Amino acid sequence: MTRAERYRLANGLAFLSPWLVGFVVFLLVPVVLSFYYSFCDYSLLQAPAFIGGGNYRELAADPVFWKSLTNTLVYAAMALPAGLLVSLGLALLLNQRVPGQSVYRTIIFLPSLVPTVASAMLWLWLFNAKLGLINTLLETAPFRAAIGGLNGLLGLLRLPPLQTPIGWLTDPTWALPALALMSLWGVGHTVVIYLAGLQDVPRELYESAELDGAGAWRRLRNVTIPMISPVIFFNLIMAIIGTLQVFAVPYIMTGGGPARATYFFTMYLYDNAFTYLKMGYASAMAWIQLLLVLALTAVAFWSSKRWVHYQSK
Amino acid sequence: MRIVRALVLAALAAVAGYLLLFGGRTGAGPGRGRVVVRYWEKWTGKEAEQMMQIVDDFNNTVGKEKGIYVQYLSMSNVNQKTLVATAAGVPPDVAGLWDTQVAQFAAIDAVEPLDDLAARHGITADYYKPVYWEGCRYDGRLWALVSTPAAVALHYNKRLFLERAKELRAAGLDPDRPPRTLDELDRYATALDTFTELPGGKKQIARSGYLPMEPGWYLAYTGYWFGADLYDEKTGRLKLDDPKMVRAFEWVKNYSVRLGKDSMTEFRSGFGQFASSQNPFLVGTVAMEQQGPWMANYIENLKPSMNRWRFPKEKEKGLPLASRQANYEWGAAPFPAADPALGDVTVAPFDTLMIPKGARHKEEAFEFIAYVNRQDVSEKLNALHCKNSPLRKVSDAFLRSHPNPYIAVFERLATSPNARGVPPVPIWPEVADELGVAAQRVYLLEAEPAQALADAQKRLQEKLDEFRKRQRIRAGGERE
Amino acid sequence: MATAQAEKRAERGGGAVPRSVVPRPARRTPRRAHPERWVTVLALLLISVGFVLPFVWMLSTSLKTLDRTMEMPPRFLPDPVVPQNYLTVLQNPKLNFPLLTRNTLIVAVLSVVGTTLSSAIVAYGFAKIRFRGNGTLFGVLLATMMIPFPVIMVPLFGIFRWLGEHTPVPFLGTLTPLWLPAFFGSAFNIFLLRQFFLTIPAELSEAAQVDGCSDWGIFRRIVLPLARPALAVVALFTFMGSWNDFMGPLVFVQDPSQYTLALGLQTFQSQHGGTEWNLLMAASLLVILPVIVLFFMAQKTFIQGIATTGLK
Repeated sequence: MTRAERYRLANGLAFLSPWLVGFVVFLLVPVVLSFYYSFCDYSLLQAPAFIGGGNYRELAADPVFWKSLTNTLVYAAMALPAGLLVSLGLALLLNQRVPGQSVYRTIIFLPSLVPTVASAMLWLWLFNAKLGLINTLLETAPFRAAIGGLNGLLGLLRLPPLQTPIGWLTDPTWALPALALMSLWGVGHTVVIYLAGLQDVPRELYESAELDGAGAWRRLRNVTIPMISPVIFFNLIMAIIGTLQVFAVPYIMTGGGPARATYFFTMYLYDNAFTYLKMGYASAMAWIQLLLVLALTAVAFWSSKRWVHYQSK
Repeated sequence: MRIVRALVLAALAAVAGYLLLFGGRTGAGPGRGRVVVRYWEKWTGKEAEQMMQIVDDFNNTVGKEKGIYVQYLSMSNVNQKTLVATAAGVPPDVAGLWDTQVAQFAAIDAVEPLDDLAARHGITADYYKPVYWEGCRYDGRLWALVSTPAAVALHYNKRLFLERAKELRAAGLDPDRPPRTLDELDRYATALDTFTELPGGKKQIARSGYLPMEPGWYLAYTGYWFGADLYDEKTGRLKLDDPKMVRAFEWVKNYSVRLGKDSMTEFRSGFGQFASSQNPFLVGTVAMEQQGPWMANYIENLKPSMNRWRFPKEKEKGLPLASRQANYEWGAAPFPAADPALGDVTVAPFDTLMIPKGARHKEEAFEFIAYVNRQDVSEKLNALHCKNSPLRKVSDAFLRSHPNPYIAVFERLATSPNARGVPPVPIWPEVADELGVAAQRVYLLEAEPAQALADAQKRLQEKLDEFRKRQRIRAGGERE
Repeated sequence: MATAQAEKRAERGGGAVPRSVVPRPARRTPRRAHPERWVTVLALLLISVGFVLPFVWMLSTSLKTLDRTMEMPPRFLPDPVVPQNYLTVLQNPKLNFPLLTRNTLIVAVLSVVGTTLSSAIVAYGFAKIRFRGNGTLFGVLLATMMIPFPVIMVPLFGIFRWLGEHTPVPFLGTLTPLWLPAFFGSAFNIFLLRQFFLTIPAELSEAAQVDGCSDWGIFRRIVLPLARPALAVVALFTFMGSWNDFMGPLVFVQDPSQYTLALGLQTFQSQHGGTEWNLLMAASLLVILPVIVLFFMAQKTFIQGIATTGLK
């Protein structure tokens, strides 16, 4: 190590020191402890007793663990891409110069400010199979016609027709898609980050693309998307972390039902920890979740080399 | 615009600053100079107010004498908060938990054993009705006492019975009394069902006579009415897949099959919340329900007209119970068993008072628990909650002037030899959840009853065995 | 310098003419005009209605009697209108709204100050100082974002208990556990700020370095002023986050005299659905109102702040 290198190291660590201290005290120690607990029988109140890989063995044989894992992955497969696309679309719209722009922006961001209890309640009502707003809308003529057409198509494909009214939260087939749909309401944070990224795209690029005869779609594909790819990447990572930890909304709205159709990984983890008082078992689950998130993020990072472009080094 | 913005921001900042500096502070509590016993309880709303009366009484009498002040705090998820606070070393002194937690909390040492304290206050087995006393015990020791008990009974809507008198009679049933056998209950239910015809020729349920899943709180215990045991204490094995349990769940399934799974689900999604005047029993969309004695309390608060069916309340004064009953639009009776040989079967759930491990004021906390268990106090509280008494001795006044006109039914059920409680299984909350899911799978027709129960049995027996194995490891480890 | 592929592609089309020399096309060329914009406006209007409708319902619920909130089918207009619900919430002795607000403010203000300051310092270290292990530590930082809260919650308890016993400062039973960690940077905000700092051209700091400026000097005199809008974003995100945080207070606060607003809202919820929805909605609206106002006012700074600022 040269002197300059050593100087930079000391300097760097000095700047990092608040985080390093916090990391050790508020994260590393707890995480190491929880790693240890994952090999223990631990109920919070009695001292943890080491039992080896028992928790992990029990998990592997626990159908509810697998069910909650599958639910979470299926939900993520729906909510994650949908959320990224919808928020990008909204951001593109909100980036247009139109009268009342700031009002629209505030409106789109509003839902992310609503306390979870309140928004869960709201959507319980919207989704109500019999009296909810959504099914009421679906009963109107244009939607009825559309569903009729869809059912004709499904009939041709020899698929079962769509049954109405849809039991959004009461039918095990619909409950997960319903929650994914609802998640789109709270994309405000993501939209704001996209918007910021969009503002960062130099106007000249659009202008030269336009001079070149590029239409809206080509401008989007060849200018906007590559230019905001770091932002997309950021949102992707945040979405991976967020969707795999989904908890509060289904906990309040469905309690995991019907028949565990919306029982998510974090819910089972939470129940194990605080309802069944199996802190060790919960810690093992937490570690599996952590590894899962890390694996997915690693894939995202690996792929990012191909599609994410930073403007400076 | 700029100015407006600056003004609004300044106003926000001013309010924030004011609140930061002078925002409501809590004064020193009225418990000054007395030992403050912190009491966490699950109830909110009316039931909380009623319990607070008892707390106030205590603070003004026994508490004053002995220098104890009980601070009542309502909170949701009280079991989880109690546990976390206990782990953090800052537990409340008294926690109002559920009976389903007694074995669980006891097995992991989350609560203090109460045998000695109870004995010193003269609270023993023969002071209590057996089903509640047993429910407070686990592994040979006492861990909890009862605040308010209950017994589950059939609640039925007399007005709807009269409305469908013709159909009931046609089915050979008497509209002036509740069903007495399970078979009768099914026939009553069918005769009470009504439908509306939709334009497309589809039928929509308008009212149902009975739905096992409404409110569905006791689906896990349905087997009791079929003579099933959920647990064999001697062998330590769960008996969830017992043929009698399977029969019970077959019975649940039949309701879905008869009414149609989808129309039933749609029908249920129109129900209002339990504690609202839109409760399906209160609005008459469900004619019969499995409920506890608290129903009288909720009806009184949410739909008082149901408690004044024939004449004003004042006229009830001094009337014998039987004549008072005529003034109620609803009635309560033992929920019929599948096997007529099983008389007065019920599940008898209760609310508990426990002292978390490490509570700072154990003795004082128990003073309060003992106070709540004094016959006069217990009767006052349970009359307020419209519930029966947990105690063996019941005063005449309690029975005579009880606001629940069917109190005799609940007292009878609670003392019945077939009154059953939560099995002493240390992982019971998990078992109850799994049974709930099994019941859902059955009534959503996702699985056959035998299959759903076999799955539950397999999974939970493994969990229970694992739990025991670990306790052995722990016991071994601690001996070293 | 790594040039974005996009620029390459665009330049390929634009020929060799430097971008800055390309004349700006007239603002109102016919092609850019109005059909497209009208579609945008229409779409925005429709979407906004969808997003606002639930709020209107919240407002209407907050003005209903409890009974009417559970009416089936629900009605949109409250009848009778009960504005007293708001007074009930504000004066509810069990809830003590001013006290809850004060507690929330304490936590929020301290969290904002702590997070913004510490995250900026750390982010500078990650973005601008090239030292061995930087990449690895950054990977660790990202990994920490993925740790589910329940995992660390219980050990955290133990740590705060231990800290309380071994320092003169009490931890459990106070609001401290809610804001103290903020002073040690938050991974999300560090990540966010690092991404901003990365886009500040290296030439700037290199020039300053040549002038003999230390890293601390560069951070304070160059990076911090440039990043002011970005810091505003972090501050606002943190404020909103801690204003609405439910899990933290749920776990660390037991005594009602230390409840925050988000936790207080739960007072209206009860076990068997005896929720007082009208009061819950009134209280929710009161709770989110300041945040909405704040966001509306700061919306432009907020979004520009997230965008990279400064030199292009």
